[in-house]
Amino acid sequence: MAAPRKHDWADDDELEETTADLPPIQKIENKDGTWTIIEYRYNDQGQKVKVTRRVRNVTRREVINPRVAERRTWKKFGDSANDPPGPNPNTTTVGENIIFTPSINWRKEAKNEANDPNAQAMKDKLRDKKVKCRICNGEHFTARCPYKDTMAPIGEAGAADVAAGMGDELAAPGAAAGAAGPGKKGSYVPPALRGDRAGAAGERMGGKYGERDDYATLRVTNVSEMAEEQELRDMFERFGRVTRVFLAKDRDTGLAKGFAFISYADRNDAVKACNKMDGFGFRHLILRVEFAKKAQ
Amino acid sequence: MRPILLAGHERALTQIRYNREGDLIFSVSKDQIICVWFSHNGERLGTYRGHQGAIWTIDVDPTSTILASGSADNTIRLWDVKTGKCLKTWDFPTAVKRVEFNEDGTKLLGVTEKRMGHMGTIVVLDIKVDVEAEQSDEKALTIVCEESKATVAGWSYLSKYIIAGHEDGSVSQYDGKTGDLIFNIPIHELNQQITDLQWSQDRTYFITASKDKTAKLITAKDLEVLKTYVADTPLNSAAITPKKDFVILGGGQAAMDVTTTSARQGKFEARFYHKIFEDEIGRVRGHFGPLNTVAADPTGKGYASGGEDGYVRVHHFDKGYFDFVYEVERERQNRLAAGNA
Repeated sequence: MAAPRKHDWADDDELEETTADLPPIQKIENKDGTWTIIEYRYNDQGQKVKVTRRVRNVTRREVINPRVAERRTWKKFGDSANDPPGPNPNTTTVGENIIFTPSINWRKEAKNEANDPNAQAMKDKLRDKKVKCRICNGEHFTARCPYKDTMAPIGEAGAADVAAGMGDELAAPGAAAGAAGPGKKGSYVPPALRGDRAGAAGERMGGKYGERDDYATLRVTNVSEMAEEQELRDMFERFGRVTRVFLAKDRDTGLAKGFAFISYADRNDAVKACNKMDGFGFRHLILRVEFAKKAQ
Repeated sequence: MRPILLAGHERALTQIRYNREGDLIFSVSKDQIICVWFSHNGERLGTYRGHQGAIWTIDVDPTSTILASGSADNTIRLWDVKTGKCLKTWDFPTAVKRVEFNEDGTKLLGVTEKRMGHMGTIVVLDIKVDVEAEQSDEKALTIVCEESKATVAGWSYLSKYIIAGHEDGSVSQYDGKTGDLIFNIPIHELNQQITDLQWSQDRTYFITASKDKTAKLITAKDLEVLKTYVADTPLNSAAITPKKDFVILGGGQAAMDVTTTSARQGKFEARFYHKIFEDEIGRVRGHFGPLNTVAADPTGKGYASGGEDGYVRVHHFDKGYFDFVYEVERERQNRLAAGNA
């Protein structure tokens, strides 16, 4: 069937309305000095849309040098003579956001960002550790010890003696080492119980996010499935510099799971955003915004 | 901060200057065009066409009525800032590497290249700051640099001295009226060229950038080195920021070696140092070629940098920039506040 324009009977009514006049724009002044503007327009699909905006008029006075003001009225010339007013996108574009806050130890911060912070911490810890043999306390690996066949490991020999004293029969040193029980180096300790281990910080799940500062992070729930990270970023960037936007997405379908995290550089901005954006309508859903709780 | 990228040039930038009020940015590059931009939104106001060679240098008089440019076509040209018309052309035997107006715009100095048997010179021209006026052809003064050619030069406070930086790393002080050499002091490493010289707002001291990987803050009166800023790459430009006590250094490895290294190793960043404590306090990335020129907004609100990549990037600082103070500075402020209360 050749149908160059797909036309649904259900749209008939509205198509007729396209020609009809739209209701006039309504302007209502609210008690708190803001204005509510209600207007109607047609969107790309030809559907009638009601747009309600609340506007607050704020007069901000900026004092500029009269000479500067005069120069802004100058006519463009040369290669720009035919440019319309305002920046020409051919010559002027806005770059990506650059984070620049001067700091005395910026070098250290930059380095930490570049390397994996955990790897760095591990390296620092191991810097003044020396290899120590468990048999003779020499500076080599236990497996390389020249006495490895002739002597029992230090400490375990004593334990073996105690065990031997308590036991009914004389146990072989190898068996005694096994009987020396939990807490000794050779035995298995589940990761959760390795409290004093150096690598404890490094083995937490969620690697790089472990270091994240939850202090200025908002949790946004009831986010539409169709939401995109960029949309969220645009919405939340109004309140301050956003350092991170994380929108949970289904791996298979690519649809959003309905929650997101927004991190701000400044806690004050986060507070502002939390107050303003909680209850904000976004894609037919009402957002719920609260401060993220620290993961336990 | 979101930098504004100005893509008006097709070749490497050579110099950028703000006008006195900081609302206009003038940029020149090797592509023979001068561009003027509004600094607040990056809108291009116009271009000045006429030069037939790479343009090395640009300066605007304090009232922003006339513009001077020096080029590899061996001329200094004077332009009407408002309309883009060329008002006057002076011819020289060699290329012009630097021009600068004095504080009231009545004198213009030009630095000419040493080439083809001609010595490097610094010439002074009398200027009438009027678009209609007839400019004189005569040079008011010519200083010949016999030892080592001058690469950069500028006027000190009250046009009392002409300060020049040389190819051999030394800095000279000449009398502004007679052109007599008063001092010549080796400041930077021997035979490491001085690449830039920019003034503080009151022109009592200036900053030099050199290929020896340092920038130095020097007084105009007796050429005393006040501060030294050490970088890890040859420097092409240095600027002093008003409002905050910082300096901005720009550099990167030589353009001819750029293709052999990645952008990160190339060190194509603007480096911020604290003017007084000499510490490096941050870097701003963005260019993908060495920075040839940096300029600080005289109002202290931002800065612009021009690179070998042909882009000008105009930055307006965030709040964090203005809030940054050293612990000792904050303590002092608190003490002063307590004292007043």
